[in-house]
Amino acid sequence: MLPVLSATAATLDADALIGRLAKPAPATVAFREVRFSPLVNEPLIVAGELGYDGPTSLDRRVSEPYRETVAIRGESVRVEREGEPVRSFGLNRAPELRGLLSGFTALLAGDPAVLEHSFKVEASGTDQAWTLELTPIDARARRRLQQIVVNGRADVPQCFTMLTAKGGASVLLLGATADRELPKPTTLDALKHLCSAE
Amino acid sequence: MKRTPAALALLTLWIAALALLGWFVQRQLVIGADLRLFLPNPVTPEQRLLLEEIGEGPASRVLVVALEGADAPVLADVSRALVDSLRENPNFSVITNGEMSPDAVPDELLPYRFLLSPTLDTQPLDEKYLHGELLARGRDLASPAGAFLEEWLPRDPTLELLQLLQRWQPMQEPHREFDVWFDRAGRRALLLVVTHAPGFDPDRQKVALGDLEHALQQVAGDRKVKMTVSGAGKFSVLMEARTRGQAQAFGTAATVGMILLLLVAYRSFGSIVLSSLPLASAAIAGMAAVSAIFGTVHGITLAFGFTLIGVAQDYPLHLLSHRRPDHEPADIARGLWPTLATGVASTCIAYLTFMFSGVNGLAQLACFTVASLAVAGVTTRFGLPVLMARAGRDFGDSRFLDRLWDRIAALPHMRWTAAALAAVGIGVIVLAPQAFWENDLSRLTPVPRDLLITDAQLRSELGTADARYLLVVGATDSEQALRTLETMEPSLQALVKSGAIGGYDDAARYVPSPETQLRRQQRLSDAATLRETLQRSQTGTPFRAGVFDPFVQDVEHARSLPPLTVEKLRGSPLGASIDMLLTQRSGGVSALVTLSGVNDVAALQAFVRKAGNVSLLDIKDASEQLIAAQRTRILWSLAAAAVLLIIVIAVALRGRSRVLRVLAPMALTTVLVLAVLRASGESLNLFHLIALILAAGLGLDYALFFEHASADRAEQRRTLHAVLVCSLSTLMVFALLGLSDVPVLRAIGVTVTLGVIFNFVFALLLTRPPPGDAA
Repeated sequence: MLPVLSATAATLDADALIGRLAKPAPATVAFREVRFSPLVNEPLIVAGELGYDGPTSLDRRVSEPYRETVAIRGESVRVEREGEPVRSFGLNRAPELRGLLSGFTALLAGDPAVLEHSFKVEASGTDQAWTLELTPIDARARRRLQQIVVNGRADVPQCFTMLTAKGGASVLLLGATADRELPKPTTLDALKHLCSAE
Repeated sequence: MKRTPAALALLTLWIAALALLGWFVQRQLVIGADLRLFLPNPVTPEQRLLLEEIGEGPASRVLVVALEGADAPVLADVSRALVDSLRENPNFSVITNGEMSPDAVPDELLPYRFLLSPTLDTQPLDEKYLHGELLARGRDLASPAGAFLEEWLPRDPTLELLQLLQRWQPMQEPHREFDVWFDRAGRRALLLVVTHAPGFDPDRQKVALGDLEHALQQVAGDRKVKMTVSGAGKFSVLMEARTRGQAQAFGTAATVGMILLLLVAYRSFGSIVLSSLPLASAAIAGMAAVSAIFGTVHGITLAFGFTLIGVAQDYPLHLLSHRRPDHEPADIARGLWPTLATGVASTCIAYLTFMFSGVNGLAQLACFTVASLAVAGVTTRFGLPVLMARAGRDFGDSRFLDRLWDRIAALPHMRWTAAALAAVGIGVIVLAPQAFWENDLSRLTPVPRDLLITDAQLRSELGTADARYLLVVGATDSEQALRTLETMEPSLQALVKSGAIGGYDDAARYVPSPETQLRRQQRLSDAATLRETLQRSQTGTPFRAGVFDPFVQDVEHARSLPPLTVEKLRGSPLGASIDMLLTQRSGGVSALVTLSGVNDVAALQAFVRKAGNVSLLDIKDASEQLIAAQRTRILWSLAAAAVLLIIVIAVALRGRSRVLRVLAPMALTTVLVLAVLRASGESLNLFHLIALILAAGLGLDYALFFEHASADRAEQRRTLHAVLVCSLSTLMVFALLGLSDVPVLRAIGVTVTLGVIFNFVFALLLTRPPPGDAA
């Protein structure tokens, strides 16, 4: 019995796993993002919900601690924040965002082919508690976005960790995980632990 | 053809000489494409500026690029990739799709942002302002924009650079989709490209366009994106290719037709080869003369020159037609020489007047034609006869020609009819309703209407500068120009506000005057104060202490900078915009204010009157004046040429009646061709004039030969044979050109065709000896 179990764990089928993650658009999921930057004393934390409406449309609506909506439509990113003029910029200027978008939407589409188009995919763990490591194939993109690590249980992704090349990092806690209390002090390692723990 | 040693030696020498001259030409001659060669020297400052504008001015270098045929996100993506791939290309000084990128500003210019941006005019770097900015930056950092702002923030927490880039955008902002320029319908992505090559340099423009096309293919891959490029450079490439293509096609057809015609007329290949020798010599000698005297030659000069030396093709034909079995060709050439020489000399002397027209291109044309015709005449007289064998037959001895001549002889003399025709012709010329002259400079290189409409649409979508109106500020140096521009700023803003203009662009938008920069500099706090203010304003923000040290350093650096000069900016990637707007001239600087969306010219004129130190340049008006000045010079040259021609003919022929008989067909033809052109609604331009001159030269030769032959019946047949071959061959060449849809070629073709027909008919009817003289 035991050898069979370990064999299952070792040969975790990434394609089948990704297929199970499919969620039809439109879909919304609560998130809490913890952003680590060398410029700040404490990580920056915002919370709200992500709205997914097909592979070129993603909304990131922040409701805490202030209101802000970032709408990605195709190649354009539009930032609306209360009390400030609307700003927009091209997606090409934010490779992290493009990585998030393509990784996130490919996961929600449940299509391994789409994901493998832009990323080298490595899966580890078990069907119950798994980790996907997505590394951009394009060397130019890799200069900005080193890797995306997705942790999940069964068919629910829980954490979406983006590691930028310059040592910055940003962790998105999704769904129920977003409501869990953050470890103190909030470090990247502590969040990693939270994401991979039961 | 003769096969004597003397003939073979001459032929070898002749060909060797041509080869040598050809080598010289090939080494020496630079073919230019600068249209200005064909315009007179500028007199007023407006005209000088205009010529610079036409030749290498900003407007001529700008290409508008439109991408269509795919969804907007794809087009935006391709637009960005295109900019990325061409940014380093040496053929382009600017390529932009409107997207602002901080990377576009070179590092050493960054500290200048405080002196260039107007923020400090109204907002000191105090605690309240900085605190607000830092709070906003904290949120920016937590947003998806954070990752790319992260590396900028320590140096530029107020995002001054972005404000500056915003300010440098066109005032009449084009429509945007996905942050790049699109047309208002969102169907076409738009880009603006500025080439290093001036618009009227088709060769270099072609290279640039090729690069553009290649880059598109690379970045678009298998996405189906259609690119439209529009602008002066594109047009010059297009028109050059089209003119060249049609000229080549018609030229080939005409050559084949000519060979067939000559075969029918002379029934010998040798004759055809021989008859081409003087023409080839003429062309090469003409080019050699121009290279020796001018060094460069305009492409148009060459094209016109080859048209005009069509007359030279007739010289050997006269000799061929007059050959007889019982005479040595040398004797025949000697007999024809007085007539031929009169024709050559009078035409050459007439062309000489163009040497003094004050229009460089025309002087080159004259030089080319005079050298060519002289060489063609001399080689026909002295070279050809040595190579030529006696004819096997007398070309005048033909039943067809006999009958033809008898019929012609039976025709009534038409002196009064001719006078009446001339009167009617003059009436038509005077009464035709359209403008006599075509004053539109753009017609010199005519571009199909649909292309111009597309161009106008794209330009209005991009809000690019108005092609007709410009404000010009003269100053002793750049600093003074910038100061003047700054004082004009409020009035210009008022013009935009009132809707008189849509927007404007001038150098002061990029580089403020030194005074303004110094004033802003004085508002920058010193390092210690700023560090302290920052510390206080950082309270309540997430930022770490000391993180903005690079900002403090930049401000400190900016405090000690000498004001940014135009010269310093010129060397940077931003230099292209400045180069266009501020040009160094002998004796000073002239600054341009380009306008977009001009709605109210009267308001602009009122502004200019009030400002005093600025003038409104109406490019259309100035160019029309220039064309008119050019025409006046050409017409004076023509008048002088006509007088000289009459004198030469009078001296050569002696006798009023003979002179009249030779000149009448030519004069009547000129009147009637003009009348037909006017009646068909044409306004005349330079090309018509050149074609008329060619027709007059041909007519003169026809009449001279008919006049020469008047005494002898057999000689009359031979002359009829010669003139028939000459006029048919010329007619064929130019009637073919008349079919072209390139306006220039058509104008020349139609005019010369009409001229040949009229000249031939009138030479027969009017130059023919009066009945009493006939033997």
